[in-house]
Amino acid sequence: MNTALDWRAATLKNGFRDATAYRVEFFSDIVGSAIVPAAIQLVFWHALFTLGGATEVAGMTFTDMIHYTIVSVLFSQVRGGDQDFELGEMIRTGTLSNYLLRPVSVVEFIYLRGAAPRFLIAGLSLILGLILSLWLGGASPVRVCGAMVMAVMGNVIHYQIGAVLSTMGFYWEDAYSMLMVKNLVVSILSGELLPLNLFPASMRWIWESTPFYLYVFGPTQYALGRWTHLEFLHHLGIALIWMLGLWFLIRMTWKIGIRRYLSLGG
Amino acid sequence: MTERLSSPLARYFEIYRVQLKNNFVREAVYRTNFLTSIIVDLVWIATEVTLFSVIYANVPVIAGWTQSQVFFFLGIFFASDALFTTFFQRNFFNFSDLVNKGDLDILLTKPIHPLFLILSRWMNLTALFNFFMGLFIAFHYAAPAGFPGGWKWLLLVFWLLVGLCAAILLRFAFAVWIFWTDRNWALVRLYYQFFAFATKPDAIYPGMIRYLIPTVLPFAFIGSVPARALLYGLQTWEYFALAFVMLGFLGLNTILWRKGLRRYQSASS
Repeated sequence: MNTALDWRAATLKNGFRDATAYRVEFFSDIVGSAIVPAAIQLVFWHALFTLGGATEVAGMTFTDMIHYTIVSVLFSQVRGGDQDFELGEMIRTGTLSNYLLRPVSVVEFIYLRGAAPRFLIAGLSLILGLILSLWLGGASPVRVCGAMVMAVMGNVIHYQIGAVLSTMGFYWEDAYSMLMVKNLVVSILSGELLPLNLFPASMRWIWESTPFYLYVFGPTQYALGRWTHLEFLHHLGIALIWMLGLWFLIRMTWKIGIRRYLSLGG
Repeated sequence: MTERLSSPLARYFEIYRVQLKNNFVREAVYRTNFLTSIIVDLVWIATEVTLFSVIYANVPVIAGWTQSQVFFFLGIFFASDALFTTFFQRNFFNFSDLVNKGDLDILLTKPIHPLFLILSRWMNLTALFNFFMGLFIAFHYAAPAGFPGGWKWLLLVFWLLVGLCAAILLRFAFAVWIFWTDRNWALVRLYYQFFAFATKPDAIYPGMIRYLIPTVLPFAFIGSVPARALLYGLQTWEYFALAFVMLGFLGLNTILWRKGLRRYQSASS
């Protein structure tokens, strides 16, 4: 009996059951969050190419843009999750105390519980991506699998950043605003709304200096064959460094934060 | 005092004044929250502005709209949306709880229209910052966008009210279904998904969406139509369409609210 593995498997299972308890809500949320970013992208391409008469924008044709939109939707479904907000709320309300008594890492527990439905979505997106890879030029099943690995790593990084920011709750009234700021920045710098190569050269450093491009833009570029395998490995290495650095940061911020934690009542 | 409040209008006014005061006191207690809310609002504005700046770094015009015109639109949109956020948004978030937990009972027993109490109880006064930011952006880009200014600024008040009314009617149309469903979180999420259509000028949308957002899902009335009306003016049929759609939503919401109330039951009622 492997206890360490057991509690993680049980947490994933419970998290999945929780998320799918209201099935209509679960699936309508997936569809809604897939359609709207895609629709916004398509609206821009329509305005630029159809109404504006452009033939190429930032080195991308109308077809390139459409391919980007279709594939990026798959990865934008994998990114994110609201578990960091849950952590912040637990600190604020004091419900964190219940979790501190358990012999598991609260940060990991909350992640796994909230990530379960994302992993299901990642599986479905992978199947869709594999089918699309047969049709889209430049894409291949191997590339789609590699891109999905990067997207899942992006999901972990996203939560790690949120877990660090949520410790603001130990010092302030709550961490909600900081997490909202992070999500707003992610929405534009992840490549969910626009391919990041549309950024002018002078502004490229903005997205290159954050890990957010690893959530959607990076996976999409690799899946569509716009990154070489070497480039992909380079960015995968960057993702690993971010994960490692943030792991240390989580340990540090939580260790310091928990010393200030005060919960009254049972 | 009693004599003054005997007039229905005065009674409503007095209640609103008290609600406003209570909300102000509550927000004054959480000063840090005030600061962080302002930061969130600033980042949101920066995100939308960046999105269009990136696009306009590649092309000079989108669907006939220059960068200044789009920023003028964004200013109007931010101001209009901020009015909704300030005075109504929280009430809609709490609406489902009122119905689900049976707290609506107490409001139904008051000698005031329950909708007035439901929609005026909670305010988010820090969002007024966004209103002024929106106005600042609109004023800043008005001249380069080609807005003639002068007395036409008076029209801004009218169009901001149109945007506010459209947002209330739409949000209500999504919220009122709580009488029939146990949880309407999916519908609320759907509202905010569709809301993304309000954040872009309607001219850039392809055919079907361009017809949907001023009719069945009139998100264009929040910022896009007001900005277009101020910049270019609307055609006569568009004014009639606007009135028709708004009145249609008002009628639909009234019917749903009445039907919903008939269906409403709680442990204490």
